[in-house]
Amino acid sequence: MGLAAIAMVAVLSGCGKAPQEKIDETNLAITTAQTAEAAVYVPAEFAAVQDSMKAIMAEVEVQNGKLFKNFKNVTVKLDQTLAAATQVSANAAAKKEEVKKEVETLMTEVKAVIEENAGLMKKAPRGKEGAAVLAQIKTESATIEATIAEAQGLYDKGAYMDADNKVKAAKERAVAINTELKEAIAKVRR
Amino acid sequence: MKRSLIRIIAIISAVSLLALTIMCLVYVTPEQPSGEMKAARKALSEAVTGGADTYSRKLYNQAMVYYDSAMVNWKRQNKRFYIFRDYERVSVYAKLSVERAVEAEALSRTSASELNMKLRQKIGSLKNLASELDSIFENYPLTEETRIRISQGMMLLEEADIAYNKGIYFQANRKITDSEYLLTESLKNATENLKNYFKSYYQWKKWIDLTVNESRKNNDYSIIIDKFSRKCYVYYNGSKKYQFDAELGKNWVGLKRVKGDMATPEGMYKITQKFDSRKTRFYKALLLNYPNEEDTARFKAEKANGSLPADAKIGGLIEIHGNGGKGIDWTEGCVALTDKEMDLIYKIARVGTPVTIVGSMVNLDSIVK
Repeated sequence: MGLAAIAMVAVLSGCGKAPQEKIDETNLAITTAQTAEAAVYVPAEFAAVQDSMKAIMAEVEVQNGKLFKNFKNVTVKLDQTLAAATQVSANAAAKKEEVKKEVETLMTEVKAVIEENAGLMKKAPRGKEGAAVLAQIKTESATIEATIAEAQGLYDKGAYMDADNKVKAAKERAVAINTELKEAIAKVRR
Repeated sequence: MKRSLIRIIAIISAVSLLALTIMCLVYVTPEQPSGEMKAARKALSEAVTGGADTYSRKLYNQAMVYYDSAMVNWKRQNKRFYIFRDYERVSVYAKLSVERAVEAEALSRTSASELNMKLRQKIGSLKNLASELDSIFENYPLTEETRIRISQGMMLLEEADIAYNKGIYFQANRKITDSEYLLTESLKNATENLKNYFKSYYQWKKWIDLTVNESRKNNDYSIIIDKFSRKCYVYYNGSKKYQFDAELGKNWVGLKRVKGDMATPEGMYKITQKFDSRKTRFYKALLLNYPNEEDTARFKAEKANGSLPADAKIGGLIEIHGNGGKGIDWTEGCVALTDKEMDLIYKIARVGTPVTIVGSMVNLDSIVK
């Protein structure tokens, strides 16, 4: 009788298994989000999804440790996390596209400033101070062009955040030169 | 009837036994460490919010390893039959994870704050250094290599500033380190060159004093050319009377050594001839007695010691002339003034008027300040 009772308990407690397929599906969705560079483009959202998954796996073990298992709540949370991970992937892709477009716009803008600077250098005063400054400006312009080439390389590799930083720096320098040249020309005209 | 009663008693006994078994199992099965694991997850999450995965990576990774170990042990214990489970190790690992995560978060906040301050200070000081380079070397020709380094240093400084403002401190730190190296090396090399240039300052000072005194003594004109500031000063009776911008040889730094080196000489000279517009293609010109005795002696010594080739020629025809105002150092060693200024100087100068050409009328400290 006692053995029968134990056997019955063993059978009853075996009912209710962890929804392994759903777990695998959700993990895959999180890996997909990671591949989509969610950690770079939407880091807080990605961290939240990872935290949710940790909590779910802990809940799975809580249920595994019980006599009478019930994975209903785990299944509901897995569905929510799967949806969240899918959304994070989409958000990362959207943010990445946004940064990509920003880089493209900045590239166009900085090239326009460089072209304007080339024209201004021809009009720049050749006074004593102008000559020495113009020599440095020529060197700076070469450095700006080299930085833009580096930014283009990063863009081609898909490293849009890094490209963004570089092209912003190049634009700042180009605009600074543009301002210097315009001020020098304006002084002469006065 | 008797059989039915026995059956009923048997069922009740079986159910009671089952219930008793279940109660025993529930009683003896140890409590799961869900509370400790929850605390560990919370601590890890807070650590990430505090930037621990960036600024105290080692400690954070340790915290993660402990958490993963706790999970592995928990899984392992749950596979065992209830009465044999022991979650002690799971709890230990979970607590260790909390400890490390809390430590990681605290260190991260301190590191990030210190790095923020360090970067802000460095960015500020490098911007000042760049301004210093600009102002000191506005007139002094830097080598192409130095100009490139300064330019690259400035670009890295800009990138560091952008990364800093975005809160990407590690990237900003890398860029600032490279920028600092390029800019400080540039300043060091350029300053060494400049110090070398100014090592003759005391000699120049003597020549200046002699020239001004001669002007005072003779109650007459003397001319001093300051190469560094590109100025031509006309003294009369020991006082500065006129000041003009001057343009020099393309290779104006240092002494003139040979014919064709495009250098403007340094020394005490006198006007030997005056050429009006019929006799010069440079509007008007005042010929100097370059090479003087010192120039000749130095040239001979350099030839003798092999510093100059045997067939080198010392050169000549160094003048103060017109056609200046181009804004660059364009001559082959002469001193160029605008035609208007040349009219004035041509009028007051005569054969024998002293013309002293020096590297600088002020010392390096004044320029650096």
